[in-house]
Amino acid sequence: MRALLVLVAHDLRQHLRDRSMVLFAVVIPLALSAVFSLAFSGVDDPQLEPVTAAVSVPEGDEAAAAVPQTLAGLAEAGIDVTVLEVPADEVTAAVTSGQAQVGITLPQGYAAALADGTGATVEVEVGEDAGLAGQVVVGVVSSTVQAMGRDATAVAAGAELGLDGQQLEALVAQLSGGGSGAGGPSEAEASAADGAAGTAEGAEDGLATGGAAWTVRGVAGGQLSLSAGIVAGQAGMFLFFTVGFAVLTMLTEREWGTLARVRSAPIRPWLVPLAKAVVAVLLGTASTTVLLVAGSLFLENVAFGSWPVVLVLVVAVVAAATSVMALILKLAGTAEQASLMLSVVAISLGVVGGTFFRVPTRGSWARCSRSTRSRRSAAG
Amino acid sequence: MTTSSPGTAAPVRPDQTRTSAPVLQVDGLVRAYGDLRAVDGVSLRVDPGETFGLLGPNGAGKTTTILMIAGLLRPDAGSVHVAGTDMAADPIRAKGHLGLVPQELAIYPELSARDNLRFFGRLQGLRGTRLKTRVEEVLELVGLEDRSKKPSKTFSGGMKRRLNIGIGLLHEPTLLILDEPTVGVDPQSRHAILESVATLTDAGMAVLYTTHYMEEAERLCDRIAVMDEGRVQAQGTRDELVELVGDADLVVLAGGGALEAAEAAVEVLPAVQRVTRDAEGLRLTVRGAPTAITGIVTAATDAGMSLHDVQITRPDLESVFLHLTGRALRD
Repeated sequence: MRALLVLVAHDLRQHLRDRSMVLFAVVIPLALSAVFSLAFSGVDDPQLEPVTAAVSVPEGDEAAAAVPQTLAGLAEAGIDVTVLEVPADEVTAAVTSGQAQVGITLPQGYAAALADGTGATVEVEVGEDAGLAGQVVVGVVSSTVQAMGRDATAVAAGAELGLDGQQLEALVAQLSGGGSGAGGPSEAEASAADGAAGTAEGAEDGLATGGAAWTVRGVAGGQLSLSAGIVAGQAGMFLFFTVGFAVLTMLTEREWGTLARVRSAPIRPWLVPLAKAVVAVLLGTASTTVLLVAGSLFLENVAFGSWPVVLVLVVAVVAAATSVMALILKLAGTAEQASLMLSVVAISLGVVGGTFFRVPTRGSWARCSRSTRSRRSAAG
Repeated sequence: MTTSSPGTAAPVRPDQTRTSAPVLQVDGLVRAYGDLRAVDGVSLRVDPGETFGLLGPNGAGKTTTILMIAGLLRPDAGSVHVAGTDMAADPIRAKGHLGLVPQELAIYPELSARDNLRFFGRLQGLRGTRLKTRVEEVLELVGLEDRSKKPSKTFSGGMKRRLNIGIGLLHEPTLLILDEPTVGVDPQSRHAILESVATLTDAGMAVLYTTHYMEEAERLCDRIAVMDEGRVQAQGTRDELVELVGDADLVVLAGGGALEAAEAAVEVLPAVQRVTRDAEGLRLTVRGAPTAITGIVTAATDAGMSLHDVQITRPDLESVFLHLTGRALRD
């Protein structure tokens, strides 16, 4: 035990003397926090720029007129859209000149084409500076037009099946009352806006959409915000380098020749790698804690929950990372090989852990993850 | 004095009549790397207060032998006893008797000489007043009192070497192992290191000294083991080893030209026992060189060799090595 303390104290003194301890435990975490602050500020609350839509609507076409009405209603959802009604031959010029960011041309006979089921082509032009809000407008137009097409098809099918006038009126009333028509912001709009925000936390009840109520429900639990998730992921990746630095000093000592001399002392041979592991855990825990605390203090919307629980989690992760480093140490023949393997492992696990972007919650990866979790739960 | 021929696993141990317990007893050490037997049946014994030299060229197996003696490498076969303790059975106790000075510098560059000594002293189990006293004594012994607080990375090569040796002396080991301590040092530092070792041996410390410098072995060692190709070719005192070559002298013919033809011409002369050829010329083991030299020179020049220099040397360890292995020590 005394020999272990001597070795650990020696390593810590070495790291303190060559300033690597201060560098890895304090300076770099704080510097990373500053970088995060610059890079990720506002990612949880993206601001949609005001957008102007140049819309051409055939005169007297009520179905076509529903499109600009829908866009005007987006203001209720917090999207500042200005609708500029222009003749069909001026739409392109408006977009090209930058007067409008999105151009929409509804063709002549749009309503008639819907009614007889022959279909119509709506032209949408998107300017270079349309931005995220422009994409939202395009999505809303697209879903509105498709919904109107589906409704018209349903009514036409009803007539073909021999429904009388009253039944058809009732069907029309049902369709327009379902919120899928041109009466207001649709599901697609909500989806697009939600997708732009990236997260759906809390609940927004009772947002009127043409008479129907719709609700967005957040998942209850300890889900980190996007910023907090990225900070935690970056801390995890940086941890590998911190721990790796401490563990791989074994290779440095081998090059210096001091490792052989230490091993020739009357001590248990396994105390040498154990001392490196203890130093790695101490250094990694300090570094990660500083990074998480600094992130929660200096960044907006970053919180990690109960600190005692977080600390336990940090120590567990640091111990796991130290084990991975010990494997690398075993496999690597030289310091260069070890550094290369360390980088590959750190970046690979960092990507999987969400260091650079949030891992998908849908798709094959998520299905695989959920499947794995389910099996584990069942086994447990 | 004993010799061993290739194929003999372990030479007969010398000085079997000695009664004092040896500081180091090595029997039949073997270590192989694949098909290469780096150490092949090495046996030796170091007595208290004795300086024992392992003499051999680079690659002879000296350092591998040292690593096994120091408990840093597990032998494939054989045993090591340090002060009566079996290294395999009780390595911690056995290591406590050893002071290792590796061939390469083994010091922490960021730490001062004093901190290096303190750290290794603590690992050796020293503490408190004892540790403090020994650190000061060793600093004085290696002449680093004035620079004791400076980082060792600022030291000259000679100062680093002295500190490297001082660390090995710190806990006053029963056996000090010095693995080629003068490699790569300037003549002044080399002289200082040899003086220090001589002082230690005068004080009664047993020393195991590896070197490929013949003059160091002759100057320092009470007994010498000549190693080559992983085996101890012979061991004994300097005089006992020299007796192996009888009254043969070493003749060096330095020059160029038709060396191969000259080699063939001189090796048939009756006085010539052995001839080797290297980049500088020919080396001959010759019986009665003063009388035979004229014929040797004539034969060599007639065969087409252009001579630059001729040297006659009385038998020494170089001659012994040449006699035992057919190669020069520096090959």
